[in-house]
Amino acid sequence: MIGHILLLSGLAIFSVLAILSKDLIKSAISLAVASLLLGILFFQMQAPYAGVFEISVVAGLITVLFMLTIALTKAEGDVRESKLARTIFPLFFVVFILIDVFVMKGLLQKVPALPEAAEQGTFGDVLWKQRTFDLVGQLAVILAGVFAVLALFRKRDKDE
Amino acid sequence: MNNAWFVYMGFAAGLVFIGIYCLLTMKNVIKLFIGIEIISKGISLGLLATGFVKKNTLLAQSLVITFIVVEVCLVATALALIINIYRHTKSLDVRKLTKLKG
Repeated sequence: MIGHILLLSGLAIFSVLAILSKDLIKSAISLAVASLLLGILFFQMQAPYAGVFEISVVAGLITVLFMLTIALTKAEGDVRESKLARTIFPLFFVVFILIDVFVMKGLLQKVPALPEAAEQGTFGDVLWKQRTFDLVGQLAVILAGVFAVLALFRKRDKDE
Repeated sequence: MNNAWFVYMGFAAGLVFIGIYCLLTMKNVIKLFIGIEIISKGISLGLLATGFVKKNTLLAQSLVITFIVVEVCLVATALALIINIYRHTKSLDVRKLTKLKG
């Protein structure tokens, strides 16, 4: 449990760094480190498939996409973030954590969540037999994403 | 069991708060998407932690994987959109988008 809390604290710290740092590249790298810590946490929670996805896709692919966008736009320092937002962040964060600590415990007993059941079978069984429709949805989402990116980068026709 | 769940969900809510704060206060479009990423990290942590404390990891894992796929498609499309916005306005400032015409 202590290891988990350390990982969670690291995750929170790197997330804060990602939004507060002035350099966009540093932000993207902090985000990647946060994803890496989350992936390690997933491994420790006996969820290796989710961990692999988190580390390879979110920490790897999304960071590359962010870096590519930052390199293509080359507008570092172009947008000035307000200093006030940076300085008052700790205050808001502490207030939120206090509210969180007091409200979350009561909330958790009321909100319905996943059923508590002894699971049978393997991950493949659950994914293929119970969540088949999700897989179809994933395929549709991937196709939609591919077509959206293609549509956004298409060249203009000559007669336009 | 409840104490561990409380800690995980507390951290997940904290991550969501960090992301929402970023969305509300920052002006750089790429920063806004970093905020969205942090929110989605909080959500996937909440999903998997609930599965972990309720001993239902397999189902939670499949939900998290679906969520990650959706997230990647969202980010790819959004970053393509940001590059197009930059080509039009030569800036990443989200306030300039209100001045777009046509």
